[in-house]
Amino acid sequence: MTVHIEFDCSWQDEFITRMNNDGPWGNWELYKLAVEVEKHTVIPEFEGLLAPNHLAQLTPLPHQLEVAKQVVENMNGKAILADEVGLGKTIEAGLILKEYMIRGLVKKVLILVPASLVSQWAMELNSKFFIPAVAQRKSYVWEQYDVVISSIDTAKRSPHREIINEQEYDLIIIDEAHKLKNNKTKNYEFVQNLRKKFCLLLTATPIQNRISEIFNLVSLLKPGHLGSETAFYEKYKKDSRSLDDDEHLKELVNKVMIRNRRADTGIEWTKRIVETIPIEFSDKERELYETICLLGGKGDTINKSQFSVMTLQREACSSREAVYFTLKNMLQKEENTSPAFQEQIQHVISKVEEVQSNAKAEKALELIKEINDKVIIFTEYRATQLYLQWYLKQHGITSVPFRGGFKRGKKDWMRELFKNNAQVLIATEAGGEGINLQFCHHIINFDLPWNPMRLEQRIGRIHRLGQEKDVKIYNFAIKDTVEDHVLKLLYEKIHLFEKVIGELDDILTKLEFGNVEEHLIDIFNYSSSEGEMKIKMDNLTSMIQFAQEMKGGIQHAATGNS
Amino acid sequence: MQQQEIHEFLERYFLANDCELKENQSGYMTVQLTVDLDKELMNRPFYWHYLEKTGGVPNPMTLTLITDSSKVPDNLKGETIHFGSPRLHQIFQSTKKLASFIRLYEKSSTANSQQTPLKPWICLNVKVSYQCDRKKDVFQSIGLQLINGQIIEDFHDKLLELPLTPKIPDYSFTLSPLIMPKSGIKRIEHYLISNLEAENHSWADDARERWQKDLNLLEHFYEDTEEKSESYEIEKLALKDQYEPKINISIINGGIFYLRN
Repeated sequence: MTVHIEFDCSWQDEFITRMNNDGPWGNWELYKLAVEVEKHTVIPEFEGLLAPNHLAQLTPLPHQLEVAKQVVENMNGKAILADEVGLGKTIEAGLILKEYMIRGLVKKVLILVPASLVSQWAMELNSKFFIPAVAQRKSYVWEQYDVVISSIDTAKRSPHREIINEQEYDLIIIDEAHKLKNNKTKNYEFVQNLRKKFCLLLTATPIQNRISEIFNLVSLLKPGHLGSETAFYEKYKKDSRSLDDDEHLKELVNKVMIRNRRADTGIEWTKRIVETIPIEFSDKERELYETICLLGGKGDTINKSQFSVMTLQREACSSREAVYFTLKNMLQKEENTSPAFQEQIQHVISKVEEVQSNAKAEKALELIKEINDKVIIFTEYRATQLYLQWYLKQHGITSVPFRGGFKRGKKDWMRELFKNNAQVLIATEAGGEGINLQFCHHIINFDLPWNPMRLEQRIGRIHRLGQEKDVKIYNFAIKDTVEDHVLKLLYEKIHLFEKVIGELDDILTKLEFGNVEEHLIDIFNYSSSEGEMKIKMDNLTSMIQFAQEMKGGIQHAATGNS
Repeated sequence: MQQQEIHEFLERYFLANDCELKENQSGYMTVQLTVDLDKELMNRPFYWHYLEKTGGVPNPMTLTLITDSSKVPDNLKGETIHFGSPRLHQIFQSTKKLASFIRLYEKSSTANSQQTPLKPWICLNVKVSYQCDRKKDVFQSIGLQLINGQIIEDFHDKLLELPLTPKIPDYSFTLSPLIMPKSGIKRIEHYLISNLEAENHSWADDARERWQKDLNLLEHFYEDTEEKSESYEIEKLALKDQYEPKINISIINGGIFYLRN
C-alpha cells in the first residue's frame, strides 16, 4: 500500500519573495548551526530512546529502559507503571518525561506525588535528568514554571485548583495512583478534569483484578475508551469478577499497564536477613500486662470496647508511656464515667507507675551499640517514640524522630540529620511511607504493625535499588503476649518478612480471596477474643499456605507435562 | 548532546547573533542580549511597544545560562539548560528561523585577476519524517544546479568544505540560471518523492495492522450499544491520529549558492 507524502510548500514562497527582494539573507554560521541542531534532534530509528544518549552520567537498569521504551513506542504515553516497590519507578517516569521533552512533544508538566516525596522528586529530576522541575511552594508556580511537582492535596485546594484547571498540560505524572481507584472521590474528580495529552500513573500496588478499578484507571488514561460506565458494568459485572476470563479486557490491560517484579529484573537483590528477638518482661511490666488482660475478662464497662483492650495489650508490649497515654485519653473521652470504670483505670495507671524499666528499650540499646552503625527503629506509638529518644539520649546515643505529620521541609531535614549526624532514626508508622533511606541497612521493629502492607513499606524504605548491603531486620516480641502470637502465627508461618507483599496479593487474587490487608484488619479489629483471633489467623495462614502450594503445584504440573 | 556540546552551541549561537558574552566560564555564561535577540527570546512585546511609543533608551536584558550547576558560584542565578529544556528548544527554533534562507558566493582561492564565473545552485536541507504511532526522521541535503539540472545528495557537507562569503567576490560574476528557482525546487520535490515511493513501506503496513487491532478492541467495548456515542467517535479519531502512516517532508533551510563548479 502507498503512503501519503506531504511536501512542505511554505518555504518556497518566502524564498522566491526574498530572491526578488534581494534578501534579507541569513547568517552562514547560524545556517550551519541550524543544520547541526536538526541532526541532533532527528529520531534516527522507529524504535529506541533518545534520552539515554543525552544522560551520560545516568545508567538506567535494563527493565527501566524497557518500560520507557514500551510507554513511548507502544502505549502512546498513556500508561500505568506498576512495578513492585523499589524498582525505580521514578527513574522510569523521568526517562519517559525526558524522552518526550527531547522530542519536543512535552513542555508543560504536572507531577502529583505524596507530600513527603515532593522534594525528592524535584531533586532527582534536576540532578539525574537535568529537568528543571520545581516543587510547588507559591501559587504562582503553576503558571510560571513548566515542570511543577506538588502533592495532590495541595493541588486540589483553592486557589490552586482553579489555576491548574486553566492550564493545558502535555504530561501528567501521578505517583501512588492506587489512591485513585475509586471514581467517587474528590481526588479522582480532580485528576479527571485535568487537561492532558500524556499521562503516567505510578503505583506499587497491583490492580486487584477488580473490574471497577480497571474501569476507573483506564478511564483516566483514555476517557471513553471502554464505552459508557453503565454499559460496561452491565457487560462485565455479571459475567465474571476476574479479568482473566475476558481476552479483550486482558488485552486492554496489557496495553496500558506494565508491571515488573523483582524476580523478573535479573538484578541481584541484597538479602533480607530476619531475626526475631524474644524478650522477657520485667516483673513489673508483666504485672501491668496481666492487669490489662484482666480488664477484658470482667464483663463490665470497659469490655464493650474490646478493641481498646487489645490496643492496651499491644501498647504494654511497647512502652508504659504508650499505655498511659491511651488511658488518659480514655478518661477524658468518656463523659459519664462510672466510679467503677474510673477506679479500674486508676488501678491500671498505678500499675503503669510501678514500672521502672523497659525491657525492649534495654535490648534495643544493647543491639544498637553492638551494630555500631545507622539503625532505624520503627514503633507504632508516638509515646514510645518520645520515650526512646529520651532513653537513648540518656545513654549517649544520638537519634532523630520521624513522623508522617512532619512538614516536607522537616522530613528532608530529619533525613539529612540522620544521614550526617545521628546514629538512630526513630520513626512512627506514618513515617514509613515516602522516605528513602538506602544508606542504612538495619531495621529494628520495636513493635510490629499488624498489617503486612505497612511492614513492607517499612522494609521498602531501605531495601530498594541503591541498597548495597544485605538488610538486617530485627523483630522484637515479648514472650507470651499477644505480640508473640501474631509474630508466630502470621509473620513466621508465611515468611512475610522475606517476601514482597505483592507476591502474596498475586497469589490471593488468583483464589478470589480478596487482599491480605482487608483480612487482617478484620481479624484484629473485629475479633471479640484472642481465641477468635487465633482461629481466624490460623484460617488465613492455612489459606495462604494452600495458595502457595497450589501455585507451586501448577508450575510443577506444567513443567511435568512438557 | 552532552552538556559541554550544549555550552559550545550556545556560545556559537550568541556570538553569531552579535551578542557580548559578559562572562563565559565552564558551566555557565552570562550574555548581554542585543535588542533583536531580546525581542526574539525574552517574550516581552509590551516593553518594546512601550519603548517605541515613548522613545526611551532600549535596555535589552542579560541572560545567565547554566550548563553545569555543580560548577556555578553559590550566589549566581540563572536558567539551567539541558537537552530537552524549553529554553534550548526555543533557541533551536530561533536558530532555524533566523537562518532559513541564505545566499552565498564561493571565494576564489587564487588571487588571479581573471574573471571567475559562478554557477547558481539551489540547496534544500530537509527532514523526512516517517510518522505513524512511532516516528523516524531522515536528514537529507539536496543540491540542484540551475543550469544543467544536475542533482547532488549530501550537498551541505560539500558546502562546508568551500570558502563562502555573503558578498560577491571581486573578479567574480554569476551566471544566469536556465532553470528558474521555483521549478528547481519543484524538481527537488519530485526527486525526493519518487525516491520515497520506491522505498519499502512495510513499517506502514505494520502500523495499519496495529491500528486495526486497536479498532477491533474499541469496537468490542461498544458493540452492544445501538447508537455510537460521541466519545466513540473521539476515540476513533484519536486512534487515527495515533496510527495513520504518513510521510512529511519539511524544509529546515536552504538557499542559493553561487559556486565555481
